[in-house]
Amino acid sequence: MRDLFFVGYLGLLMLMAFKRPFLFTLVYAYIDIVAPQRLSYFLLNSIPLSLILFALAVLGFLISDDKRDVRVSPRWALLIVLLAYCGYSTTVALEPVAAQEKWSWVWKALVFAAFLPLLLKTRLRIEALALTLVLCASALIVTGGIKTALGGGGYGSLVLLIDDNSGLYEGSIISCVAIAIIPLIVWLAQHGTIFKPDWKVKAYAAALTFAALLIPVGTQARTGLVCIAVLALLAIRQTKRRFLYLTGAALVGLAAIPFLPSAFSDRMETIKDYKADESAATRVAVWKWTWEFVQEHPFGGGFDAYRINKIRYDLPVVDENGFDTGAVDRKEIVDQGRAYHSSYFEMLGEQGFPGLIIWLLIHVGGVWRMEMLARMYKKRNRPDEGWVAPLATALQNAQIIYLVGSLFVGIAFQPFVYMLIAMQLGLDTYLARRRNEAAWTPIRKQRMRAAQT
Amino acid sequence: MIDNLSILLSHGLLLLAFWLLTRRDDLDSEPPPPPDAEPQGFAVRRPRASKEQPGDA
Repeated sequence: MRDLFFVGYLGLLMLMAFKRPFLFTLVYAYIDIVAPQRLSYFLLNSIPLSLILFALAVLGFLISDDKRDVRVSPRWALLIVLLAYCGYSTTVALEPVAAQEKWSWVWKALVFAAFLPLLLKTRLRIEALALTLVLCASALIVTGGIKTALGGGGYGSLVLLIDDNSGLYEGSIISCVAIAIIPLIVWLAQHGTIFKPDWKVKAYAAALTFAALLIPVGTQARTGLVCIAVLALLAIRQTKRRFLYLTGAALVGLAAIPFLPSAFSDRMETIKDYKADESAATRVAVWKWTWEFVQEHPFGGGFDAYRINKIRYDLPVVDENGFDTGAVDRKEIVDQGRAYHSSYFEMLGEQGFPGLIIWLLIHVGGVWRMEMLARMYKKRNRPDEGWVAPLATALQNAQIIYLVGSLFVGIAFQPFVYMLIAMQLGLDTYLARRRNEAAWTPIRKQRMRAAQT
Repeated sequence: MIDNLSILLSHGLLLLAFWLLTRRDDLDSEPPPPPDAEPQGFAVRRPRASKEQPGDA
């Protein structure tokens, strides 16, 4: 039944996309995020859906789009450099088979992220992409939110549509992404033109935001809690009545504690006692290993280089009350092939210093560019551009939340995040072109132009 | 049950959004923006911009 639904649904989407070829790009984004082929049992499983859709999207762009509006930016060029660099590092990887496997999806994410900004040449296209990303993620967020509210969940046990730990379906990743898109949900509810901001849209946006906030509770991923804290801090910046906001936030936070499942509170408590926590101790040990590894391999070890690590670390022995019994009596733990659990160390260990620098330039550069745009458009203060500064700030906040969340999760190449980057790049070049078109010209020049025509 | 509700809700809204998009002309191209009333950005500080007064032709 589900299979037939998805086949019919995709057919409908593609039918509409044949009318407007840009929509093929959005269908590709949908397939990449929701992965309907994994939700179905047969039919879609056997077709290379992404490949077909990507080919259609490129074809649509080549045939029907006006290429005069295409522009690129320095960060776009960096994406291409990162793609080429990762491609090269894969050929000399220390773990060739595993590296090849990761490369097989990384290149797709990077190529799509480089392709997407070329198409984002109208405001509506940028908004359509934002809406598609939010609605696709909502397929997971709504189910996760409702299950958590009904008392389900648990670390590694909250099942979002399918029992699968890849893509957005992994607990820590969906926790980070769910919080990162909250600023976008708010922007769509205030400045959307596809769904005009009436009470229904606002109510749905509020409910979706609430569900997104519940995801870290349901998955019990500690990263999610850190992301919520960052979101709260970022919101202070935009609030006019800061005191009221702080008081309100504190009250809501306090009121929420009794409703949180005790398993969640217990797990969040471990953020404080990270020394006695095995998962945290391994991370620190892996990070140390990575740092030593790149001293000898400054260009990294290629994708999945962590597989060669063998780490040994001590865990303080705690008594039944959870107190450290002292440094003398320590439990030694030996571990092998531990993943990085941090995007920064993932980049460092796999792509070395050059890879980490390019990655940082792309991501931190996004925070900086969005800040520039938000300031510029607040100053311009034109009524037809009222949507720009809030969108730039929303994309900046999403990026900051991702950058903080990825301190503890290895999601350096998460395709969803690269779609956000693509949206930043598209917005940036779109605005540059529009500014140019609207640029003030002296009356004399205007008259001369008018006389020529 | 909850899964199906979530799939229906998100997919229904996405389908509706697609349908609304096919009816919008500004998806593929939009009219040029109204010109700036006064110089913006770097143009403000550019000395040439101030020299180009109607009198110096």
